[in-house]
Amino acid sequence: MSYIEEIPCVEVLSSVVFIIEGVVEESQNPQAIASHLNSCLACQAEVDHEQAMHILLQDVLRRSCDEKAPEDLHRSIHEELLRQATGGAGVTEVVTQISMTEISIEIDEFGNVEHREIQIEQTHVERYEDS
Amino acid sequence: MASKDLVLESATDRNARFERDAIAYMDKLYAAALRYTKNPEDARDLVQDTYLKAFNSFHQFEEGTNLRAWMYRVLTTTFINSYRKDQRRPQLASGELEDWQLAKAQSHTSDLGKSAEAQALENLPDSDIKRALQEIPEEFRIAVYLADVEGFSYKEIANIVDVPAGTVMSRLHRGRKLLREKLTDYAKELGYSTESKKGKGEKK
Repeated sequence: MSYIEEIPCVEVLSSVVFIIEGVVEESQNPQAIASHLNSCLACQAEVDHEQAMHILLQDVLRRSCDEKAPEDLHRSIHEELLRQATGGAGVTEVVTQISMTEISIEIDEFGNVEHREIQIEQTHVERYEDS
Repeated sequence: MASKDLVLESATDRNARFERDAIAYMDKLYAAALRYTKNPEDARDLVQDTYLKAFNSFHQFEEGTNLRAWMYRVLTTTFINSYRKDQRRPQLASGELEDWQLAKAQSHTSDLGKSAEAQALENLPDSDIKRALQEIPEEFRIAVYLADVEGFSYKEIANIVDVPAGTVMSRLHRGRKLLREKLTDYAKELGYSTESKKGKGEKK
């Protein structure tokens, strides 16, 4: 059995954020934390409390921060994007496509024919913002 | 070859795709912008700028990756670069992590304190929740908002805000703690009983 280091309560409590985020295995000493929590009721209670408070805090935050964007903001963004797309300060795109096929045929002294084709394709996009 | 098809997507198609996919996030981005800027006018401008920037760099967005996270990244960078009232405010240095780990030893809370804190949170009106969020420092506010309202993982937040993941963890830890302290204070002002939390029996 491998040795698991014993750590004090304070070290467990300062790793609570890892437990809450569900990534305790990414904390510094996950095994020691698990083993400590198994035997320390006070820390268990603290972690439970922190988790409960976290869910509560999340709930009240989500409930409070649910403003909708004003209707005219929707309209003005839509119009601005349309203007961007169709003219005004638009964007010109130059797409260059190169396609090349290299064919090689080799015949060796025994008369065997080896035929190879290599296809090379390249696409290059350049964007120019009209000012 | 999918990637080639994408490159050859016409600008018109791409614009349509942007409108179709990104516009859906506007309400959420606006709510975030309100928390970032703290006022409706700036929030409007920030969201409009965000869409304009995102639209013009949409060709850099890799399809199949997380568009929502990408939009928040544009929002957050735009805010940090152009809207922050005090540009010169020094950023918290790295070393934050050690800072909170070594900070005042956390002790166990009494059972009485626990239930009082929960009760305080449950009873506060939305306006107080938003006020508390506004009053905590910006770095903490952004991290807590992205994690707890938007549900991003701490690694996604590291990418959105462009700071190391460990820094995000420390901001979440401290930000939530500050937020809860503020909310408990408000609850006290409103007369909810939370005095047991700090052991001060100052009930009148």
